[in-house]
Amino acid sequence: MTPEALHRERFPTLSTDGQRMLDFMRNHPCAPAFRNASGNRLQAQEVLAQHAFEREIAAAPVGWSPGFAPDWVRVLMSHVFATVPHYRALGPVPRRLEDLATVARADFAADVAQFVPDDAPLERMIQFRTTGTTGHPLLIPSHPVVAARYAAFHKRALQRVGVTPRHGRGQVGVVLLGFQERCFTYVSVTPTMEESGLAKLNLHPADWRDPADRARYLDALAPEIVAGDPISFTEYLTLPLQHLPRALISVSMQLMPGLRAGLEARFGCPVLDIYSLNEVGPVGVFDAALGGHLLLQPRLYVEILDRAGRPAPPGVAGEVTVTGGFNFCLPLLRYRTGDFATLVDSAEGPVLRGLAGRQPVRYLTLHGWVNNIDITHALEPFPISHFNLHQHADRRITLRLAPAALGCAAPACRALEFLFGAGQVTVEALTARDKTRQYTSDLDGSRQ
Amino acid sequence: MNQAAMKQADLAQLTRRLADIPADFLAEPRIAEHGEIVLPALVGDLLRMHGWQPSPDDLTPFVGGPARTERNRLALTSIAVWLLADASFIAAQASSAALLDVLHQLVGEMAGLTAADGFVIDAERREELVRAVLARLGMLPLGETAAQAADRLAAISAVQRRALLAASRAAEKRAREVREALERQLAAESADKWTRE
Repeated sequence: MTPEALHRERFPTLSTDGQRMLDFMRNHPCAPAFRNASGNRLQAQEVLAQHAFEREIAAAPVGWSPGFAPDWVRVLMSHVFATVPHYRALGPVPRRLEDLATVARADFAADVAQFVPDDAPLERMIQFRTTGTTGHPLLIPSHPVVAARYAAFHKRALQRVGVTPRHGRGQVGVVLLGFQERCFTYVSVTPTMEESGLAKLNLHPADWRDPADRARYLDALAPEIVAGDPISFTEYLTLPLQHLPRALISVSMQLMPGLRAGLEARFGCPVLDIYSLNEVGPVGVFDAALGGHLLLQPRLYVEILDRAGRPAPPGVAGEVTVTGGFNFCLPLLRYRTGDFATLVDSAEGPVLRGLAGRQPVRYLTLHGWVNNIDITHALEPFPISHFNLHQHADRRITLRLAPAALGCAAPACRALEFLFGAGQVTVEALTARDKTRQYTSDLDGSRQ
Repeated sequence: MNQAAMKQADLAQLTRRLADIPADFLAEPRIAEHGEIVLPALVGDLLRMHGWQPSPDDLTPFVGGPARTERNRLALTSIAVWLLADASFIAAQASSAALLDVLHQLVGEMAGLTAADGFVIDAERREELVRAVLARLGMLPLGETAAQAADRLAAISAVQRRALLAASRAAEKRAREVREALERQLAAESADKWTRE
């Protein structure tokens, strides 16, 4: 395919204004090296459909209560059993969702093609690659329309804090920040926002001619929304920026309250902590007043299951298991996410409380066994982007902190010694920049 | 077997029995603590109805393994139990081994091809199941010769098998195309999301 044809495939509806925006972001004197290419890939009728989808998502309630599957689940099950090879092989459609065997990441990793519906279009299929923390590389089948739909859920979350994105032609709407040795970076435009600019950047100095260009470039782009994760936001905080975005959106990892407070104070805008998975998209947004992550997708039903796959009693933590979603290339029926939480009802809809990545880990303290949520609470006051807490077989504790957080090693150590005893806690630097298992233990009984 | 010695049953009456199956027999088979119908108990009751006392080993195949491979088989076992509880089968005095062969081997073969509820919903599949069970037990549909019964079963099964073979080939082709689509360079290049997990 010629470079021109590739460009048209990435940007089917690109106008001269849109091209000007791409040129501005790519050719700015302080721009980083863009290592990849991407695009919205949306065709004209899909742009119109996306507008309609965003209106629908903005208004639709999450119309179910924990433990009571909504009516649309039954319709979805019938459709999935008729069109998805994995489910067709299971035989008749179960009468109740609870009778259906769950699936997990390992099932997708074994052969994800078995989970793609017969009617999912393949011509423009795209994939998102994820390794997660379990080490199983996984390709998630997706589509440009599915990728574009993410914005609808982010706008729904932003609406709750009074922010309606309005950047359009000639402005940059969203900048996505990474901070990794290697990172997928590109520039694009969002056709549903009058081709406002979208840039995915790596704040790692190796991607820039001059590390000082990072702040200059971000100020030049002046994005309305900045998305990132606790690691990239920790670096973002260090930059001498003039421009203040209207909102920050953090995904991928738990956003510790100390870092959130630091970001809010520095940029004077709402900081959204969104629980999002490649397999599911944005699931919930954290709301301190609700005590957890409020669910965002009107067509996503969530169950909390115990290890045997039975519904956990109300108020008891279990594995977050989802049905539905907006990815028509990978409809989900009882997909076990590998994340743990409790689910409670609220006036605004169901809320995931105590969300902890992966299975909870217990620690043996001076006061007996405690759950890792207590460790999170102990470390809450500190601006830590990410960490690992490991309990050795002799009960001693090693706290590994991101290098930028080593400044708070002493007070964090003291907070933990209150739980584990004086002299029992050692602090080291955490070197891995990717997702890390936060909680690990060598002790028998650490997994309930 | 000598045709004169072969017991007979009313095909129409048995297919009607399948169509009128009580909802309880279509409930979820119990696998790994999920589901309502406990198949070993159900099969045990059926054997006792036929005058046999099943051993624990007889019932082991109905405990079930992974849902992906076993759910449809056990669901069809439940339907076959309902069918075999008909008075015409009880009167035929089939051996315990023959009944277990139907419930395990024959049902296993048929469940590998068709969703269990198809044998209730679809008139042709109902007839196929009844004819297959009669043949396996050495019985004949009322008014048919052995040759006629064999021909009709072969015909009805062949149509289904051809359709399933075509579906299976189409499914394999589709899975291959999905894998190829995912591996394409442009797929890896991805498309815009406002956030990246």
